[in-house]
Amino acid sequence: MDLTAPFPSRTLLRGAGFAARILILIGVLKAITPATPIVRLGAPQTVHTEQPAVCVHTRLTDEVEEWKIQRTASMVREMGAATIVEFFPWPYIEDKRGEYNWEHPDRILRHAENQGLTVIARLGLVPHWARPPIDEKVTTFTYLPEEYFEAYADFVRAFAARYRGRVDQIVIWNEPNLSIEWGDRPVDPAAYTRLLRLAYAAAHDGNPAITVLGGALAPTTEPEHSPSGMSDIVFLERMYQAGAAGTFDALAAHTYGFTLPPQDAPDPDVINFRRVELLRAVMERFGDGDTPIVITESGWSDDPRWTRAVRPGQRIAYTLDAFEMVKSWPWAEQLCIWIFRQPLDRQNRRDAYYALVSSDFYPKPIYEAIQAYARGWENPYAP
Amino acid sequence: MIARLVADAARALRWLRRHPRIAVLGLSAAALLIAYHLVTRPGAWFGPQDTTWRRSQINGDLYVGLDPSYPPFAEWTPDGIVGLEADIAREIARRINTTAHIQIMGFDGLYSALYTGGVDLVIAGLKVDPSQSSWVHYTQPYFDAGQILVSPSDAPIEEMRQLDGGTVAVEIASAGDIAAQRWSRRLGDLTVERFMLPDEAMRAVQSGAADAALVDTVSARLYVEGQPDLQLAGKTTAADGYVIALRKKDFRLAEEIDRALAGMIADGTLNAIIERWL
Repeated sequence: MDLTAPFPSRTLLRGAGFAARILILIGVLKAITPATPIVRLGAPQTVHTEQPAVCVHTRLTDEVEEWKIQRTASMVREMGAATIVEFFPWPYIEDKRGEYNWEHPDRILRHAENQGLTVIARLGLVPHWARPPIDEKVTTFTYLPEEYFEAYADFVRAFAARYRGRVDQIVIWNEPNLSIEWGDRPVDPAAYTRLLRLAYAAAHDGNPAITVLGGALAPTTEPEHSPSGMSDIVFLERMYQAGAAGTFDALAAHTYGFTLPPQDAPDPDVINFRRVELLRAVMERFGDGDTPIVITESGWSDDPRWTRAVRPGQRIAYTLDAFEMVKSWPWAEQLCIWIFRQPLDRQNRRDAYYALVSSDFYPKPIYEAIQAYARGWENPYAP
Repeated sequence: MIARLVADAARALRWLRRHPRIAVLGLSAAALLIAYHLVTRPGAWFGPQDTTWRRSQINGDLYVGLDPSYPPFAEWTPDGIVGLEADIAREIARRINTTAHIQIMGFDGLYSALYTGGVDLVIAGLKVDPSQSSWVHYTQPYFDAGQILVSPSDAPIEEMRQLDGGTVAVEIASAGDIAAQRWSRRLGDLTVERFMLPDEAMRAVQSGAADAALVDTVSARLYVEGQPDLQLAGKTTAADGYVIALRKKDFRLAEEIDRALAGMIADGTLNAIIERWL
């Protein structure tokens, strides 16, 4: 070692200079890297509405960016809708049996509550572990074998208990009268009733004050034994015949107008808005007239490329008339419009034209018209 | 300016003469780059090949994705798939010496079918989608579905500006309604009258209640046919072009279809097809 060499040595100085340049580079890179958006809840809000029946079905379960969840909830509030229906898929929450991941539902509820919204939770789909192994049978996300009905009920119990006092209405399954929603199998009203009975008991076990919504039947005129589904009217009759009375606190109903105005008279062979009156008639016939109906899906599309759609002005007029009609029905509690917004319009054209705002949150005329109706303002799209 | 450029070039040449090795090296590199480009460009010996084009020419087929839920553009009838878009597809196929095999599918499946090679092109009222432009080649529009002015034949209106001091009829909550509201702020005195349906807006023009109607081109063309007292403006107020989508990697097919469509526009075939259906 040369102890006479000057300090600091040239090598050391060169190394220090190199380290300084690296540090500057890191600093520059850090400075130009876009920051992760910070989402703060802000002050709790209240929904101002003159029409408490106005409700909208959101689709936040597919939304990965938190600011979009917040923006959706705030736009729903600004529209004057006090209630949302939101989908909470079972496989997203209980990917491993008995292990629950509540992160995303917590996030959605945090923002909904912050905006003063009431949430109706729809619980459905099936995790992989509750379906047959793929090498044994190829099944869809809606295939729930009867031996796993208890497992679904356990999930319902856990959900109800966790969100007790925060989510007091849950919908059991979705459109079980369609084969596609029943695991691509022939639909089975008796089996659905068994599932509903188990879920009802479990939900009340988790939260005694909860309202269990059964049915959520799709409006269809498919005859019995059709491979694709069963008429919602017939399906509900079969449910009651299987002992469904007392297994739900309210009936969830889906009713769409397609090209017909809401005033169009109910007819079992026609899908129109007042078809829900036929469901009501079945309930009364089976002595279940005290059980209310919540319309959890409804609306009109204004897709210019779809023969079952209406013009934008008709969509507004029909929707506002439908709200008025629901107000006049003592047995109907809410009318939830399908759908507020979807994450990516180009991936689902059908829903893009049912949506009230575009994927980039641009409010459509229907949004402004519902807002004016709910908040008591002048309709900006009045004829 | 030119004299200075000539002087600079002369100086550069003198410098190269003084440094012949660098000159040779530079020229060789440039020649190599040009040669590389020539042999690897699309369609060249070592470049990517358009196998779709080759297949279509050998087999004489062209697979077309189409959503038949929108008459008169495309409709599924007992006689097969008919409509404006079906006719355009068949004419394009004929012009590139192939036969169109129309594959019907839902609108949401069109891009997937194109991506996976299920079809060679899609014609279904698509609009240019910038998010797909990395892999999709869009042709020029074959139809403009935008908002167009409809006015009396004896008092034609070609532009919104001409309506200052007048009345325009629109369909409630349509793109025409929103555009007219903007124009009413822009012009000094424009009255906007709203109607539930586009036909009602055009009837208002016929009755003299409005000077013109601003409605979508499809509704306008369907209504004005057989109404000699009305006429359409020469072009739309806001364009809304329908385009054909192809895979970018099928560069030769895209080139040929662009050429075929341009030919159809130039010789009036496209217009004749549109007139047949609208």
